[in-house]
Amino acid sequence: MSITKETLKQHLKDPAIFCCRRQKGLVISAADLEDPSLFDDMEEAGLLKLSDDGLKIEQVIGSTLVCDVEALTPITKDMVDKVNEVTETASKEADKVEEGSAPAEGKTDAPAGPVPQVKAVQGGNGMIHIEIGKAEKLEHLSMDIPVFSGPGAAAPVCTGGETAGAADSSAVPDEEKAGEKKVIRTLIKKHIRITDAEIGTETSIKDGKITIDKNIIEKALKEDPLCKKIELDVIKPDNRHIYTETIMDICPIATKVEGELGSGVTKVADGVVFMLTGVDEDGVQIHEFGSSEGYLDEKMYFGHPGCADENDIIIRCNVVIEKKTGMTRPGPFAAHKCQDYIIQAVRDELKKYDGEVVREEVCEDVRRPGNPRVVLVKEIMGQGAMHDNVICPTEPCGILGGQKNVDCGNVPIILTPNQVRDGSIHALTCIGPATKEMTRHYIREPLVEGLAADSEMDLVGVVFVGSPQVNDEKMWVSERLGSLLESLDIDGCIITTEGFGNNHIDFIQHIGQAGKRGIPVVGVSFCAYQGQLVVGNKYADAMIEENMDKGGFENNVAGCSCVTKEVAARAIQMLKNKMAGVEIKPAPKKWDNEVVNNNNRLLGLPDTELLDSGTMH
Amino acid sequence: MKRIFRFPLKQNIGAKAAPTVVEGDKIVRGQLIASVGESELGANLFSSVSGSVTGIDENEIRVQADEVQPAEYRKLSGSDPLELIREAGIVGLGGAGFPAYYKLKAPFKTDGIVIVNAAECEPILGHNIAAIEKNPQKLIRGLQIVMDIVHSSKGVVAIKEVHSQAVEKLRETLDDDRIRIALLPDMYPMGEERAVIREVTGTLLGVDTLPLDADAIVVNTETACRIEEAVDSKKPLIEKDMTVAGKLRGNTDLIRIFENVPIGMSVRDVFDMAGGLADEYGEIIMGGPFTGKRVQLDDPVIKTTGGLIAAECFMKGPEKLGLLVCACGAGRERLEEIAKSMGSEAAGVEYCKQAHRVKNSLKCENPGKCPGQVQKVMALKKAGAQALLISNCTDCTNTVMSCAPKLGLPVYHCTDGALRAVNHKLIRKIHT
Repeated sequence: MSITKETLKQHLKDPAIFCCRRQKGLVISAADLEDPSLFDDMEEAGLLKLSDDGLKIEQVIGSTLVCDVEALTPITKDMVDKVNEVTETASKEADKVEEGSAPAEGKTDAPAGPVPQVKAVQGGNGMIHIEIGKAEKLEHLSMDIPVFSGPGAAAPVCTGGETAGAADSSAVPDEEKAGEKKVIRTLIKKHIRITDAEIGTETSIKDGKITIDKNIIEKALKEDPLCKKIELDVIKPDNRHIYTETIMDICPIATKVEGELGSGVTKVADGVVFMLTGVDEDGVQIHEFGSSEGYLDEKMYFGHPGCADENDIIIRCNVVIEKKTGMTRPGPFAAHKCQDYIIQAVRDELKKYDGEVVREEVCEDVRRPGNPRVVLVKEIMGQGAMHDNVICPTEPCGILGGQKNVDCGNVPIILTPNQVRDGSIHALTCIGPATKEMTRHYIREPLVEGLAADSEMDLVGVVFVGSPQVNDEKMWVSERLGSLLESLDIDGCIITTEGFGNNHIDFIQHIGQAGKRGIPVVGVSFCAYQGQLVVGNKYADAMIEENMDKGGFENNVAGCSCVTKEVAARAIQMLKNKMAGVEIKPAPKKWDNEVVNNNNRLLGLPDTELLDSGTMH
Repeated sequence: MKRIFRFPLKQNIGAKAAPTVVEGDKIVRGQLIASVGESELGANLFSSVSGSVTGIDENEIRVQADEVQPAEYRKLSGSDPLELIREAGIVGLGGAGFPAYYKLKAPFKTDGIVIVNAAECEPILGHNIAAIEKNPQKLIRGLQIVMDIVHSSKGVVAIKEVHSQAVEKLRETLDDDRIRIALLPDMYPMGEERAVIREVTGTLLGVDTLPLDADAIVVNTETACRIEEAVDSKKPLIEKDMTVAGKLRGNTDLIRIFENVPIGMSVRDVFDMAGGLADEYGEIIMGGPFTGKRVQLDDPVIKTTGGLIAAECFMKGPEKLGLLVCACGAGRERLEEIAKSMGSEAAGVEYCKQAHRVKNSLKCENPGKCPGQVQKVMALKKAGAQALLISNCTDCTNTVMSCAPKLGLPVYHCTDGALRAVNHKLIRKIHT
């Protein structure tokens, strides 16, 4: 379809294709050219064949057609009276930069002295574009690298980025002492070494060993009549090839010893987590979209933020709930509640236990006035049943004392980064195994960590917004979020979601709410193949892919495709680019992990290796 | 047998006319039977026959015609040309039905151009060109009257170059320096008002602007001729030229031109004049193939009736048709009607990117210059369409044909039934 002058500007380097039959004598303008963002679909449908001798849009604008040309035909030299000369900025004398390694290093070490003007183009379709406009001070290093995409959406993208130095000058208001750190409150997380665990006859922690009284099960069952049976056992790191029912949650053992959630002192048991698994009385797995029952070593992405780490001892709490309650709100909640009763007994022991502190993590709620004000928006599930979360319980990662976001109407709730890092979210976790963010995810959420630690940002807070079931409610919630973002007077935000499909509707609306208020926004989600965005808007032009499944599917490996350190790093860099006005190239129509990896390389991150879980198609 | 003539009270844009006769009245040909106030946007209505009023309801007046009809008619009473046009109940006869008086009542402030739209753009229709060939002087005189009324020193007859005989006749007749002939390419929709202005003046009007904004007034060919009759012969608008075509009985011509068909006559009687309808036909279209509407045999000819086409029987369509609506052709409801007759259901509806809704109708941003249709075609395929039913103009249809067949989608056009019925080439790809 013909394009506007504005669209034309974005596609000057793209092939010039007539949208319709055009006759001899025509002076070529935007109204005659097909929209390049449709080329992929057209090629796939066999409607278009791009040819190597086809001219680019910038070469033909204003030229006169010397013959009649049919629709969807690439414009070549012999069809026009003149081909516009296009000056290739710097490319002539440019040295090729291999694989983006130089820019990645450039992030930390800005070379002193003259540097040649550099322009790098990667691959056949120019997916990486690095440009160093002026060499001396490396002040205009720009990289724009498309990342992934979901067909049907408004071409999601990832970034490359500027160097650290460059972001300072362009994205940050030039105030005196800009970015100086002001600490509002401090949270100390003491990680206590745990080396063993067993189910025994008393509940205690001694010499790094957790013992849980097996009789506690009877008391725990009294917490909720829907919970019919609980089994506890311990899975050691060397015994992972063990059958498990679907993994409902991974929950750390953490407890307050001083202060409120988000401040004071918290003890966290190191080297051990609880794993909640479960079925109902009919043997139906407690899950909605995909379950992860099977051999544990194949069903969890060990080391991801929401998961157990390789060397963690896993205390498995396997529950059986009343039949046919798995898809109601009370059923799954009963399982979490009963497990929490058991964890609380361990927490109480941990409070008293004076063992080895492996590391003392100092978390600070800080403000950096003068830096760009940003918020992290985390869309969490709020459709009901297990699609729910407990917010701000009394104990870190607990249940008691918290409120469920569904009961709160899924309205946006703002937390401080420290509150999040102190276990403010107990996830009742749903969706698919791979994309759900389990309780452990939030206590060590890489985006929270990354944004809070970033000296170029001023992280104002972390907004949690539920994703309701019904579209009208989604809109309502999204509008509330929009007003909140506006009132926070922010310079940028990152919006994440878990799962895909239904929640993508409000996810994209949230992006629109930010975008229409002129707030630069970066979206983070699993999309890939199966989770292609079902809706889109023009503001969803800076998107980060979470997928780590080879087929691009929501697989049945718990925690596989979620916010990792690498995802967080790419998202933060892309936000900086967007705030600084660096062009973010549209992603190709089809998900391509290579685009993700091109960005990883630019940022010096390891490649995103995809897990082959049999979803290749 | 005495025939019944039906006169709908609203045959124009604007207000309904109010009956000025009562049931049982004896009336004569050319008698006013319904009127509108002088300042009201609307048009007077006259009986095209002598006879008696047999029925009046809120929508129409029915007249039983005398077996023998007089040649004369009751003359208009006014004397001033503009007043005669208003009194005569003349409306835009190209199909729009906008009261002519309203278009002409405000003269150009400085100067402007009056364009006679002689594009006769719809396929099959030929009565306008036939009228020009027969009596070019009448058209030119009509144009001169309009130019005088609106204080214009520039007149144009816009006509397709392909109608060489009519062009030749006009050239021979024309002896007025103020008037020139503008030749249009032979493409649908060159006759769209804004397309005519674009071709003649080079100004492309926005979809919601009137020709007046380009200091132009566009008048249809027959409107100009009927204006001549009203002013020079004080004749009210009681008759209509039209093209009758399609599935006609016998070996008659498939396309026939009728002059001065009495308004109010039933569609059935018009077809009888043309030799009668064939036993099998798909539907009756009143108007042209692109923009005409389905009517029934008992429906009457009205002021804006330019064609009556008995279309070919409907092709059996696939289960799901994708509808692509163009501002210059059949609208959504019309396409849905055709789809239903083809035994298909609509899998999806897309509108040409250039179609903009203005009041209750669609207008094309730049008539006849395609903005590309590939995205729409792909969307319809995605929606489950097994074939397309489109109403696009020539250029846009060409674009559809450049992609739909490659996607495995057969293409049907809203004009197919009419064009098949007269053995004309279907609107598809442009071959040059």
